[in-house]
Amino acid sequence: MSSSTVGTAETNPLVVPDESGTEGASRGSSSPLWRYTLAVLVIAVVVLIPVFVTVVLAFRPQLQSTSHSFLTLQNFTYVFSQTQVLTWLRNSLIVTLATVVVAILVAAPAGYVLSRSRSKAISGYALLLFIAQSFPQIVSIVPLFVLFAKFNLVDNLLGLAILYVSITISVATWMMAAYIDTIPVALEEAAWIDGCSLFGGFVRIVLRNSLPGLLSTAIFAFLLAWSDFLIAVVFLRSDTNFTLPIGLQTFFSTNSTEWGYVMAVSVVVLVPPVIVFGFLNRYFSIGGIGGSLAGH
Amino acid sequence: MTSTQARSSGVLNGLSRARKGVGLGGRSEHTPRPPRRFSTRSITLVLLVAPSVVLVVLIYGYPAIYSVFQSLHDGNLVEVGEFVGLQNYRIVLHDPVFWQSVRFTILYCVVGVFGSWVVGLALALLLRKRMYGRSFFKTLLLLPWVVPVVVTATAWKWLVATPGSVVPRFAQDLGFGQLLFLDSPGLAKTIVIAYKIWLSFPFMMLMASAALAGVENDLYEAARVDGASSWQQFRRITLPLIARSTYISWILMFIFCIGDFQSIYLLTGGGPVSSTSTLVVLAYETVFGNFQTGPGVAIGIIMTLVSVLVSVVLFRRIRKVQIS
Repeated sequence: MSSSTVGTAETNPLVVPDESGTEGASRGSSSPLWRYTLAVLVIAVVVLIPVFVTVVLAFRPQLQSTSHSFLTLQNFTYVFSQTQVLTWLRNSLIVTLATVVVAILVAAPAGYVLSRSRSKAISGYALLLFIAQSFPQIVSIVPLFVLFAKFNLVDNLLGLAILYVSITISVATWMMAAYIDTIPVALEEAAWIDGCSLFGGFVRIVLRNSLPGLLSTAIFAFLLAWSDFLIAVVFLRSDTNFTLPIGLQTFFSTNSTEWGYVMAVSVVVLVPPVIVFGFLNRYFSIGGIGGSLAGH
Repeated sequence: MTSTQARSSGVLNGLSRARKGVGLGGRSEHTPRPPRRFSTRSITLVLLVAPSVVLVVLIYGYPAIYSVFQSLHDGNLVEVGEFVGLQNYRIVLHDPVFWQSVRFTILYCVVGVFGSWVVGLALALLLRKRMYGRSFFKTLLLLPWVVPVVVTATAWKWLVATPGSVVPRFAQDLGFGQLLFLDSPGLAKTIVIAYKIWLSFPFMMLMASAALAGVENDLYEAARVDGASSWQQFRRITLPLIARSTYISWILMFIFCIGDFQSIYLLTGGGPVSSTSTLVVLAYETVFGNFQTGPGVAIGIIMTLVSVLVSVVLFRRIRKVQIS
C-alpha cells in the first residue's frame, strides 16, 4: 500500500477510509486531520444556530428593560416566580420517568422473546409491532380520548404516561431485541443446564448483561415522552396538569410575544434531555433495530 | 492467491454482516435449546410477551376498529351519531383542501426522507474520517434530534419569521427585499421541509453510521488497487453493502414523516391558507378545530391505509434485499 493511494482516499469524503491506513498517512502531515475537523466544526456551528439562538435570547434582557448588561437572569427569575413553570417541570419529570420505567419493564421481556424465539406466533407479533408503529397517532387519539374519558384518564398524568408507553413500545422492543441479539445464547444454555429456568436465565443472564441496551431504550423513551406535544395538547386540559411543551405554548400571544420568556422556558425544556443524552450517549445505539424490525 | 481468497472472504463476510442488520454481528445461528419441559418454557414466553401484546391491542387495535366505526357515523368527539355510510369519505374526497394536503404530504415525505438521508449519510461518511474531537462532534450533531421539537420549532420561528431577525435581515441584504417567510405559501413550504430535514438527519446519520461500521475496509483497498474511482467505490461498494439498512431507515423515516404532527403544527400551524398542512395536520384541524369528527377520522383512516400500504411494500422489498 503506497501512501499516495491512501492520500487520495483521505481527501475524498465518499470513501469509507481504512482506519489503520489513515493513521499511517496522517502521521506524516496533520493537515487532513485539521481540514476534516474544521469542516465538521463549520457544519456543526451552522446546524446548531437554532439552539444557540434559544440559549442566547433566554439570557438577553428584554427590549424595554432598564438593565444595560449584555446577559441577565431576569427572564428566568420571571418565569420561575411568576408562572407555573416549576409545576410543569415536575409534571414532565413524573410522566417521563414513569414512561421510561414502564416502557423498559414491558419492552425488555418482549424484546427477549423477539430475539430468541423462532415461532410463527412471534413473527406475527413482530408484524403487529410494525403495523402499530406505522399507525399514525392522530387516528388513535380520537377513540382513545373517548375511551380514556370513561375511566377519568383525560387531563390526567397517568393516562398520559400510558399513552407514552404505547407510542414507544415498538421501537423500544426492537432496540431491546437488537441488543439481546448480541448476547450469545450459549450463556443461557449453560444456565439452563445448571437448572436455571427460562425466566431465571432471562433475568440473571440476559438482563444482567444488557445494561447498554437498557440505557439505550431508556434514553429513547425519555426523549419521546419528554418532547411529546400532540398527545399532551389533546389530553391535558387544566394548566396545573400541563407538561412543559404545552406550558411553553401559553407564552405565545398573537400581538406581542415576549421572546425572552419563551426562550427561558425553552431552555428549561431543552436542558434535561441534553444532560441525559450528554452523559449517556455512548450507550445509545439505534442502528441495530433494523434486524429486529425486518426479521432475521 | 491467498490474498485473493482473503479478500473474497472479506467480501462475503461484509455482505452477510450487512444483510443481518448492522450491529447484530453476533447473532447465533442455532436456535436455543429448550430447558427440560417444553410447556413451562412456552408459558414463560407467553407471559414475557403478554404485557406488550395487551398494550398494543388496547392502544392500537381498539382505536383502529373504533375509528372505522366513527368514520361511518355522524357525531362529535363525545358521542357517535347516526350511521351515514360513506358520507364522510365523500365529503373528504370532494374537498380541494384534502387534495392540496395530499400533494403536500407526498412532497413532504419524499423530500423529507431523501433529504435527511443524503445529509445524514454524508455526515456519517465525513465523521468516519480521523479528526480532532470526533465523538464530541458526533454528539453535537445529534442535538437537533435530541432537543425537543417545541424548542427548536420556536427557535426556527424566531429565526425566519420575526421581522428584523437573522434570516429576514440576511435575505434583505442579499437583495430579496422584505421576505415574510411563513406568510407566503411557497416559502413556508420550503421552510417546513428544511426544518424536517434538519430535525431528521441525525437519525439517518445514526442509522448510516451503524451500517458503515459493518463495512469491511479491505473491500476498498481491493477496489483501489483495481483503479476504481472514489465515486465508483461509493456507488459499487458502500451503497450495496448498506442497502438493507438504508431501506429500513427510509421506511422508518417515511413513517415518521407521514405521521409527524408537531413539527409542522408548531412552526406554521398548517398555514398560510393550509399550504403547509399535511394529512395529519388537516385531520387534527378537522376534528379539534372544526369539530367535524367523522370527516377528520375519515382523513386519518385514508392516511393510515396509505401509510401501512407503503410501509408493507417497502418492508417486502427489504426481505428481497436480504435474499438476493
